[in-house]
Amino acid sequence: MAGSALKRLMAEYKQLTLNPPEGIIAGPVDEENFFEWEALIMGPADTCFAGGVFPARLSFPSDYPLSPPKMKFTCEIFHPNIYTDGRVCISILHAPGDDPMGYETSAERWSPVQSVEKILLSVVSMLSEPNDESAANVDAAKTWRDDRKGFDEIAKVTVRKSLGL
Amino acid sequence: MGKMLRAVFFGQLRAAEMEHLIERSWYAVTETCLAFTVFRDDFSPRFVALFTLLLFLKCFHWLAEDRIDYMERSPTISWKFHFRALSLMFVLGLLDILFVRHAFYSTMSKGPSVQLVFGFEYEILLTVVMMTFIKYLLHTIDLQSQNPWDNKAVYLLYSELVMGFVRVILYVAFVFIMIKVHTFPLFAIRPMYLTVRAFQKAAQDVILSRRAIRNMNTLYPDATPEELASGDNVCIICREEMTSGCKKLPCNHIFHTSCLRSWFQRQQTCPTCRLEVLRMSRPPHQQQQQQEQQQAPQPQQAQNQNGQAPLDQMQNPFQNMPGMFGGMPFQWNGAAGAMPPPPPFMWQPPPQQQQQQQQAAGTTGQTPSPTSPSSASLTSTAAATTPLEANAQTGGNASTATSSSPSAQVPPFPGFPPFMPGMPGMPGMMPPMFSYGFPSPPSSMAGLSDEELRVMEGIERSNVEARIQWLRDIQALLDGAMVLINQYNSVASQVNSRFSGASPPPVVPISTQQQQASSTTSANWWPAGSGARPKYSSTISNTHTTDSKKERSGSLSSTSEKDEKLIRKEKEGSSVAAGLSQKEEEIPKWSNPREEEHSDEMHEVRKRRLQHFSQQLDTSSSGLESEKNKDMDSSSSDKINPDSEGKH
Repeated sequence: MAGSALKRLMAEYKQLTLNPPEGIIAGPVDEENFFEWEALIMGPADTCFAGGVFPARLSFPSDYPLSPPKMKFTCEIFHPNIYTDGRVCISILHAPGDDPMGYETSAERWSPVQSVEKILLSVVSMLSEPNDESAANVDAAKTWRDDRKGFDEIAKVTVRKSLGL
Repeated sequence: MGKMLRAVFFGQLRAAEMEHLIERSWYAVTETCLAFTVFRDDFSPRFVALFTLLLFLKCFHWLAEDRIDYMERSPTISWKFHFRALSLMFVLGLLDILFVRHAFYSTMSKGPSVQLVFGFEYEILLTVVMMTFIKYLLHTIDLQSQNPWDNKAVYLLYSELVMGFVRVILYVAFVFIMIKVHTFPLFAIRPMYLTVRAFQKAAQDVILSRRAIRNMNTLYPDATPEELASGDNVCIICREEMTSGCKKLPCNHIFHTSCLRSWFQRQQTCPTCRLEVLRMSRPPHQQQQQQEQQQAPQPQQAQNQNGQAPLDQMQNPFQNMPGMFGGMPFQWNGAAGAMPPPPPFMWQPPPQQQQQQQQAAGTTGQTPSPTSPSSASLTSTAAATTPLEANAQTGGNASTATSSSPSAQVPPFPGFPPFMPGMPGMPGMMPPMFSYGFPSPPSSMAGLSDEELRVMEGIERSNVEARIQWLRDIQALLDGAMVLINQYNSVASQVNSRFSGASPPPVVPISTQQQQASSTTSANWWPAGSGARPKYSSTISNTHTTDSKKERSGSLSSTSEKDEKLIRKEKEGSSVAAGLSQKEEEIPKWSNPREEEHSDEMHEVRKRRLQHFSQQLDTSSSGLESEKNKDMDSSSSDKINPDSEGKH
């Protein structure tokens, strides 16, 4: 019997396929390996990312519900909380022990209560409301703060790119 | 050739493995270059070749590590995988040993050279192989069994600790030797730092998780079937249904014991509400201390007055204890100073006496040796079952108490029952013995500001002082109670001797009679109270949960409501016989860490005090007895209930 991580991932996969949240599709890349997931996130409506579909990868640690997974967008996306290489920087993806940004309280960090669905939902809300306090992409944060129009322009471009246009 | 070997041992590398490998290789190459600078004197093609070989082998070690980690994630493991992994580890281990030997001999024969570095490097690699092998074994065992293997994480943690220790020692020795022979090995700093940190973390993990797990095993109750049945019974950690083997944290969240254990190895918080399970237990101390200080003088006075004690005592406990009890719910709101004055209870001294005595008949069993009901309730968690158990012990307790002291046989004494409701406040304050501070926790810390938390956390000295103060107060209260017991004992024996005429040894037969009477009384109480009892248990548990919920939401205003509730409860309790059951409902809270470790000690103290007071009894209280006798005469008929009087 494989570990509890696998069981829990299977349970979450089942849950996500049975009643998927709006604008989110997620599942293992292949059924052989439940520890690598692919997710498609729709840009939330009424934001500059509206209409885009952004693919991302989730890789789970072997002790999954105890440690957070890593999430990385596989497309180009210009956003204050996403590193230029696509890694997502949100507090619930950080284990309580290490504090990469030095500002998060442990209350908003990872705990086994979180799930893939919650992660993806918070990524959606992150897309609609960037947090420029803790920028992973400083350029994007600066543009977002000082030049909202320019930011919207760039976002539109990424949306078009994500749709393959 | 590298690719060929890779194909033989690993087959296709996974993306993550590749990434890992490249990342680590960069560090290794940098460090190798640094090492070159140290040994630039014996720089030669052979030297470069050796370093390349080392690098190459390191890569294989990392890959082996990754592969074994992958075992845990993969749903199916083929025989080919086992074969590859085993042979790879064997080959790597063998090579490492060979190189270490070579390095050792060449150092011995030719003096220290660059071989020293290789020797250490391969020794470190050897520990890596060993760790990988241990992991492999653990994973294999895990795979063999159908159920997840709970202890695997524990073994992993410990083996990591041991290996970390070995590595730290190796590095320290290496650096030491290098400094003596050559110069400071700059290239070893990073891995050394990482190793020390890993070891420190492993040690910390082991300590903290051991504490938390011990807390879990000893302090936190198992979830009852009812609790599991009511509401959502999916364990939030593994997302599976909870049927058995579940624990309830102080914050009322329920998890699988095994899930909780593995989580506590990482974090010592409640997964749902992040209540810190190790820290939360401390705060009650200090505030309790303050309460105690307010309260201490009165019982002590009572003790000093000795003769007058009963009357004072009768009032004082009533005023103090319920106040203290009432203080419980909101003391974590940081309002220790703002503890409200004891609510004016209906327990007015003169009229209450009859009532008390009625109650006392029911609570007899618990009062003589409070430890036993509480130890019974230690294990049982359902509030509803404990009173039954405790009461079932009534007869037994009375009889066991007979041997220790005659005073215990006299069932009704008014001073004690009020003592009991006070008790629930106390046990939580006592820290378990095993380390300085795991007192049992407040139900929630959410409503606290950081500063309040800081205040609660306290410093060692003040905590110890609080504890000592607390113990002293307990002693004072016990002393007071014992005075009461003894007086009743003597009074009751006199009353009974008058009752039963002139039986030469009056105490023994009569007290046994009384014992019977009391047990029948309590038995008679049951049917009367039985209707009320379950109701009470449910309401009480309800108020508890709502209390904690309120506190969680941080509403401080709930305190006044609680006060009212408590007063109402007390009223109900006092007005009817059902108050008995209510009183007893409180007793499960007694079940406590404090009682756990202190029970032996307390028992000793109590015994000694019993002896002490039975000696004092004759001299001290005889004057008062005649006065009291008149009271007792009238009340004794009340105390022995109409039902039981027939038997009497």
